[in-house]
Amino acid sequence: MGVPALFRWLSQKYPKIISPVIEEQPREIEGEEVPIDTRGPNPNGEEFDNLYLDMNGIVHPCSHPEEGPPPATEEEMMLAVFEYTERVVKMVRPRKLMMIAVDGVAPRAKMNQQRSRRFRSAQEAKQKDDDKEEHLKLLKAQGKLSEEMDKSGAIKKTWDSNAITPGTPFMEILAMSLRYWIAYKLNTDPAWEKLKVIISDATVPGEGEHKIMEFIRSQRNSPEHNPNTRHVIYGLDADLIMLGLGTHEPHFRVLREDVFFQDSKPRTCHLCGQVGHMAAECRGEAKVKQGQFDEKQNAAPLKPFIWLHVSILREYLAIELDVPSLPFRFDLERALDDWVFMCFFVGNDFLPHLPSLDIREQGIDTLIAIWRDNLPVMGGYVTKDGHVDLARAQFILEGLAKQEDAIFKRRKQVDDKREAGAKRRKLETERRNNRNSGAGNGYNDPSTPVSYPGSRRRGEPIPDINALPTFAPGQAQTAADPRYTSITHESVVNRGAVTNANVANRSAAAVLKEKLLAGKAAKAAETQIHEATNNGGVEALPASGSSTAEAAKTPPSALGKRKAELMEEDNSGTPGRNTPDSAASPATPKTDPDEPAPDNIRLWEDGYADRYYEQKFKADPKDIGFRHKVAHAYVEGLAWVLLYYFQGCPSWTWYYPYHYAPFAADFVDLDKMAISFDKGKPFRPYEQLMGVMPAASRHTIPDVFHPLMTDEDSDIIDFYPEDFPLDLNGKKFAWQGVALLPFIDAERLLAAMDTKYPLLTHEQVARNERGKDVLLFSTRHPLYEEVAMNFYSKKQGAPKYKLNVRVSEGLAGKVEKNDTYLPQSSLSFPLSKGVMPDLDEDYSISVHYEMPKSTHVHKSMLLRGVKFGTLALDHADIEATRGRSRQSGRHFGGVPLND
Amino acid sequence: MAEFRIQPLARFEGSSAAIRRPKEIACFSYDENHQLRLDDSSLRYYYPPRLPVDLSQGFDTFKNLDDNADDHLDALLTTIMEMEKKDGKRCEADVVTWRGMMTKIMAAPFDYFNDFEMNATCFQGTIFLEENHSYKLAEKAEQNSKPPRPGAHSQQMMSYWGYKFETLCLLPAPWGETSREYIEGRENEVVSNYAQYCSVVKTGIGNISLVLGGEVDAVWDTKPTDPTQPTNWIELKTAAAPLTPADALKHERKLLKFWIQSFLLGVPRIVVGFRSASGILTHLEELDTRSIPGNVKRQGKASWDGNVCINFAAAFLDALRKTIGRGEGGVWRIRRRERSPVIEIWKVE
Ligand SMILES: [Mg+2]
Repeated sequence: MGVPALFRWLSQKYPKIISPVIEEQPREIEGEEVPIDTRGPNPNGEEFDNLYLDMNGIVHPCSHPEEGPPPATEEEMMLAVFEYTERVVKMVRPRKLMMIAVDGVAPRAKMNQQRSRRFRSAQEAKQKDDDKEEHLKLLKAQGKLSEEMDKSGAIKKTWDSNAITPGTPFMEILAMSLRYWIAYKLNTDPAWEKLKVIISDATVPGEGEHKIMEFIRSQRNSPEHNPNTRHVIYGLDADLIMLGLGTHEPHFRVLREDVFFQDSKPRTCHLCGQVGHMAAECRGEAKVKQGQFDEKQNAAPLKPFIWLHVSILREYLAIELDVPSLPFRFDLERALDDWVFMCFFVGNDFLPHLPSLDIREQGIDTLIAIWRDNLPVMGGYVTKDGHVDLARAQFILEGLAKQEDAIFKRRKQVDDKREAGAKRRKLETERRNNRNSGAGNGYNDPSTPVSYPGSRRRGEPIPDINALPTFAPGQAQTAADPRYTSITHESVVNRGAVTNANVANRSAAAVLKEKLLAGKAAKAAETQIHEATNNGGVEALPASGSSTAEAAKTPPSALGKRKAELMEEDNSGTPGRNTPDSAASPATPKTDPDEPAPDNIRLWEDGYADRYYEQKFKADPKDIGFRHKVAHAYVEGLAWVLLYYFQGCPSWTWYYPYHYAPFAADFVDLDKMAISFDKGKPFRPYEQLMGVMPAASRHTIPDVFHPLMTDEDSDIIDFYPEDFPLDLNGKKFAWQGVALLPFIDAERLLAAMDTKYPLLTHEQVARNERGKDVLLFSTRHPLYEEVAMNFYSKKQGAPKYKLNVRVSEGLAGKVEKNDTYLPQSSLSFPLSKGVMPDLDEDYSISVHYEMPKSTHVHKSMLLRGVKFGTLALDHADIEATRGRSRQSGRHFGGVPLND
Repeated sequence: MAEFRIQPLARFEGSSAAIRRPKEIACFSYDENHQLRLDDSSLRYYYPPRLPVDLSQGFDTFKNLDDNADDHLDALLTTIMEMEKKDGKRCEADVVTWRGMMTKIMAAPFDYFNDFEMNATCFQGTIFLEENHSYKLAEKAEQNSKPPRPGAHSQQMMSYWGYKFETLCLLPAPWGETSREYIEGRENEVVSNYAQYCSVVKTGIGNISLVLGGEVDAVWDTKPTDPTQPTNWIELKTAAAPLTPADALKHERKLLKFWIQSFLLGVPRIVVGFRSASGILTHLEELDTRSIPGNVKRQGKASWDGNVCINFAAAFLDALRKTIGRGEGGVWRIRRRERSPVIEIWKVE
């Protein structure tokens, strides 16, 4: 879920939910490294049964790391994936089952966001490549680039991370590699002998984490499921916590890298990705491998991992959501579902968040306060097993609507006050700096991050939680990301800092020119950039007004994802880099970046709703019916999301058809609404690819479809704009803005693609097929005998049968013979020979796996036999949490009803 | 007239006689109209109720089975006959009886107030043991005629609490296949003791083989598809929450019955619903049947000894077989009077 700052917010509000992961380090005996035997007890003091990997959270950082040199080939990426996965497995040491889930085709509702991410990412990549090219030219011109190095291609095109989408050849390589690696581990690591591994690759529809949830739900419905199963899910998305809560399995942890950890890895060059020099000094020399596979390159200390204990969050919420003297029985499980539902209002991947709800302004607390007040009046919970009670949802939205004006006004006041303070501080600093000229110690630099109250360990800077982007795997996950380190809340509001960044916000090429050619060339570069940005044109932005103006105070590169290095170097006088200016950007640098842009919506002034609908939706301000229509679609969206989380995808085709959310006040007569979803069916992989890719990433799609994306007379050419406007919508930075891309019309898309389907080759057709989950385990696992007997003995049974849970050690479902598996065959690495070992005989088995299907609604209840561990919260925590819950969320007039 | 001496108990101490793990060989059900069905249709699944809850609620609508008619071993024998027909072979056993009879025998060494009368018949080498129905009726009438102690609830109400607790804990299908509405609506279900699921097990104590029939309350998960695998049965019991040391001793004595009943049918887990004096169910406790005797010995007052029960039963059954097992037909009476140190056996017909 794109509650961008959710992790941050949760860990501040509920500090005990986080604890460090204890990792056993391999010992060295007489210079020989002794590998860790993970059969030994888990050093974290607790054993885990099941590990789930939301694999995109591994594939993204391993294929295009935020820091460090990117892998040179896709093969190297696979090795990085193996290495990273192994590390995670070693931490968790799952004793029963591991599920590897790669994102498959997503529901239509998700594709709007995917599309926006991919269009931006392609533009960013193009920018990066242009910069590199420019730089190479310069080096060449100066004779600083050896011919050999030029040919070696050490400075290569940025790898298109859009390839991480179902249906691409890359995803096929990934699936093959994972199957190999799992089999290899089952053969060679004794700790894996008792492990069952499910791989749900990209050919199986559904987002990775939701396939995992579906699995957990299916197991819970099996009567033999152990209610005290200890689950760990690895992944980067903030909503894994929500999903974990939503399973109602109390022994549940989320595992991830500690994103707030300040690492000590050397900075790398942005052009070639190597250490030891900055971009400006880059000569494009080929990388010298350190160790056989360059593994020693990463010998720097690994980033630590953290646990997020869903069980402890349950403890906190049990206190916070406890409402005394209810006219009905308090049910924590139901209350937790309501809490998750309220979090959706503040942000999710499928809907834009309500304008009045902002996580920075404790939007969730505001909703909780409304919920607590209304619970006795509503007579029950807002949600039930993934279904929204619309009449009760109306109570919540009305409660919010009453505060909406106050929230906007207060937001403005706070902003103004901060701005004034920042201005004052800036002046003081300037005065001081003038006095101690040449101090150069960075003391009280205007863009030195200022800590947020409640800042956590090591005194590291705290990001502006609102400035965090939607979690895109592999992006903004690390301390090196400016959103975590440099852009604190203070610095965002501090115009000085922003301005400072803006001034230096030129392309790397520009800065290089400046450095290499001095004066004259630098001027030329500036001019060039200004021309480029101006070409984007203000007129191109349909939503006009505020957004254009807003853009002015952001980098001219509306698409520029600003890196920490940039910000730091700005301050130290080192030239910035990797700040692509974009021709597509609607921003104009003509406005004085020092001046806050005028906001034409002015949420703090009467009549804001009229202006909002007129400017954002191009709707007649008098057309109140239109607003209700938008709110209606939004409620449908909330209902869709809730079902998606708690029951599985209710409709593959539904989506929210607007770029913006309505106001709380626009939700009326919800109780008269009837919501139903048509299940539909998922897109096929190529259809999704065509639905989310920009033309620039068409290399991931079979050739026959390319003309649809590029030919002027293609029926669907309008789906693939080269440039698109970006509305900052009141936010400060490009990556927070709304990409105003046209929505895909599925009917037109499919009709256009139908004309090309007959032209596909066999292999291409195969890659478009829907796949099945695969179950792998060692021939030493007790399940082997049964399966081998059923599928490969003389008295074979049916080609598909129901697992005996007592033999499978808890796994319920059906298995089916996998025709690609041959007993007693060899195992070989599917990519280059010799990179990974081949095995003469494969002592693992692979079958297709089918989760048990339930015709019944999943219920948000604890299972019988659940045993809770000792409580993590002590008396003081409980008192503090209870005290806070009475007061929080009432800044905007939320007064307890019963007062 | 033969006499089997209970005392001195020291004769039965030491490690227990061989026990054969009870294995279900057949089952039958009574449906909601108490009609016999030779299947598992009345099998129920366990899911705990929301607490606290008033066990007295719905007493006025209790559908209480009239058990004044003498059913003998009818349902058990019908089931065994059906099984023999299906398997095409005789079901061999030294003793065939209801679990309740064996419970009384096994508890005899420690339950001094326990009195019983049974009838036994030997046919083709198998002893069929059943309760003396008229004795049972007389006993019940006497109990019900006693006015409850001041402030206490009536016998009928107390027995209702037990059935109510079952209704609150049971589902007609596994949790995953049951609607939330049913689960949460169990508080308002009409309580009835018409429907029953009965397990017929083959077991052995010492050198005596037994076929026992008895009601099983619920299954924890589901009956395994492989019949050689044991089932995770659940026995449901209510008990007054012990408040004083005297209460604790009383509870420990109660555990003797809980344990024997579950032990005999191979029920591995007992869920005890603790209630207040006024019948409010406040909390639940799950007991592992196997560890009850050990816990009583080590942590409790050691008011009874499971091994003694087993060895006593083994010795008694052996004596019973010697007394009546070789004879051809005839009805024998087995009696134990309250506080009597002996069990008497004599031929009545
Ligand atoms: Mg995902």
